[in-house]
Amino acid sequence: MIETTAVKATPAAKTSQQARRRTLGQRFPGLALYAYLSIVAVFAIAPLILAWSTAFKTRPQVVENPYGLPIPPTLDNLIEAWTTGRFSVYFISSLVIALASVLGMIVLASLAGYGLARMKFWGRRFVIVLLLLGLTIPVTAIILPLYTLMRDLGLLNTYASVVITQVAVGLPFFAFLMRAFFLRLPNALEDAARMDGASELRIYWSVMLPLVRPGILTVALLQFLWSWNNLLLPLVFLTGESVRTLPIGMLLLSGRFTTDYGLLSAAVIILTFPVIVLFLFFQRNFVAGLASGAVKD
Amino acid sequence: MTDTLESIPAATRVGDLQHSSSNTPRPSIAQRRRRKVAKRSLVAYAFLGPGLILYLVFVIRPTIELFGMATFDWNGLSPIREFIGFDNFVKLFGDPLFWRAFVNNLLFLSILVTFNVVVGLVTASALARVRRGRLIFQLIFFLPVVQASIVTALVWRWIYAPDGLANAFLSSIGLDGITRGWLGDPSTALAALALAAAWSGFGLSVVIFMAGIQGIDQSLYDAAKVDGANAFQTFTNVTVPQLRPVITVVLLLEMIGGFQTFDIIWATNRGGPINSTEVLATYMFKRGFTDADFGYGAAIAVAFMVIVLIAAVISIVVRERNDD
Repeated sequence: MIETTAVKATPAAKTSQQARRRTLGQRFPGLALYAYLSIVAVFAIAPLILAWSTAFKTRPQVVENPYGLPIPPTLDNLIEAWTTGRFSVYFISSLVIALASVLGMIVLASLAGYGLARMKFWGRRFVIVLLLLGLTIPVTAIILPLYTLMRDLGLLNTYASVVITQVAVGLPFFAFLMRAFFLRLPNALEDAARMDGASELRIYWSVMLPLVRPGILTVALLQFLWSWNNLLLPLVFLTGESVRTLPIGMLLLSGRFTTDYGLLSAAVIILTFPVIVLFLFFQRNFVAGLASGAVKD
Repeated sequence: MTDTLESIPAATRVGDLQHSSSNTPRPSIAQRRRRKVAKRSLVAYAFLGPGLILYLVFVIRPTIELFGMATFDWNGLSPIREFIGFDNFVKLFGDPLFWRAFVNNLLFLSILVTFNVVVGLVTASALARVRRGRLIFQLIFFLPVVQASIVTALVWRWIYAPDGLANAFLSSIGLDGITRGWLGDPSTALAALALAAAWSGFGLSVVIFMAGIQGIDQSLYDAAKVDGANAFQTFTNVTVPQLRPVITVVLLLEMIGGFQTFDIIWATNRGGPINSTEVLATYMFKRGFTDADFGYGAAIAVAFMVIVLIAAVISIVVRERNDD
């Protein structure tokens, strides 16, 4: 093979060029790969670094030195966003909603996942199909009837409206996720506990649940991420000043101060800081959980 | 503990059943089994109940109600609503703005899907070939994925501003001629926002493709090496064909996500300028909430849901087939 191609393509210039390329590649193995990956990495992180560094710049610094480091750094933007920008209030709202949403999801999804994984019952197939359907219903599409439902229940402008919807919408995905974790546990454990006369609830709570801690962690992290970043539900349900969440606060801020990049960047930091800290600690869980089929919205 | 010790001999399952059915002397095996299943079903529904009820009330019920809502002329508030049958749908099919939103939505997700599949695939195979720094690269690629969509929207709006980073970069490489306010120009706004959405999602496709590549039989790569294939040939002749099922899954997931795009457009252009970034979700939101035309908004939502459902069902079928 090699001989024939060499005979066919005789031009000397071409072969010497090939040789040179080979030596460069041999001298720095993977150089092109690292160059490419670095370009992609810059594309991924440059927008974030831009926002994070601008948050610590004064207004004159933003104009004179838009892409450099903030020297000397200032905390004025963060303080302004936190106090006069009312981001401390929004932060509390977001936190209350996210924690309630996580807690509710852990309880309901683990119960449902346990039932689906370890019990045989009438209508099991129907329940599974019903829940599979829920994986495909986009919450955006049902936002109009959800709004009238929440209004009729008197839940508009309460945290409950957002928390309940976030749990209900995410339930199918997280129930299936917990089901997968419960399916991996051996039957022997359950049988042994049953022989000892433990009730079903006790088997679930004391024997099985402690064994699926990684699953619960995944549920907690992903539900927190989704709830914390969620824009649509608070946008529709929470119109009052006192219940606003961080993404809504940021949306309003961006409408009022379109070009105050220092202040907007400070808002970005407040919103992203908790998520980034969680992500750095639990990178593996986030990556595995999101890659398992959740669509980011 | 003490009472479990005492009860071990008595509390066998047979004992329990006999106790509960003392009035009928000898229940048939079928009867006994049915009773056992009934009891188990009751327990199972006690576990599933709380979540299932919430799901039925706040997801299934609104979904059914949506179809009803679409047959009314209703402002969402007044107690009187007029039944108009399929008029909203007839109006929908003749509404040029709806079709504009639909076409925009397709364009938006084509850019998004192409970028995330191509860049995701190339980046994942590059990542699989390097030894050092794989984790740090993966961490960096994934950072945008965990950002809120509002953050993506605002940071990119700033990058695309007339005095923003995009124009500064283009000027620095001598492309002054094409600088502009990228989101203010109707010919570029949609593509610019699709690229911003791609930025926030490509890290996820890299991770999914990485997992797929690690599952490819190493002997295929060894064989390619023996045959003298270069990196590009190995990519097109081994990696891509082997990953075909994974590519399909990523493609469909991105498509479903792309159809539901709302946040990034609502937080930046809200459909403008001159409808160039209007997509199905923003159009539904405007007609429903902003114009208080709940019936028509619901009709748009029905069309929107049907489209997403079709894509989702295909993706589930494909994934099930891959698993087999």
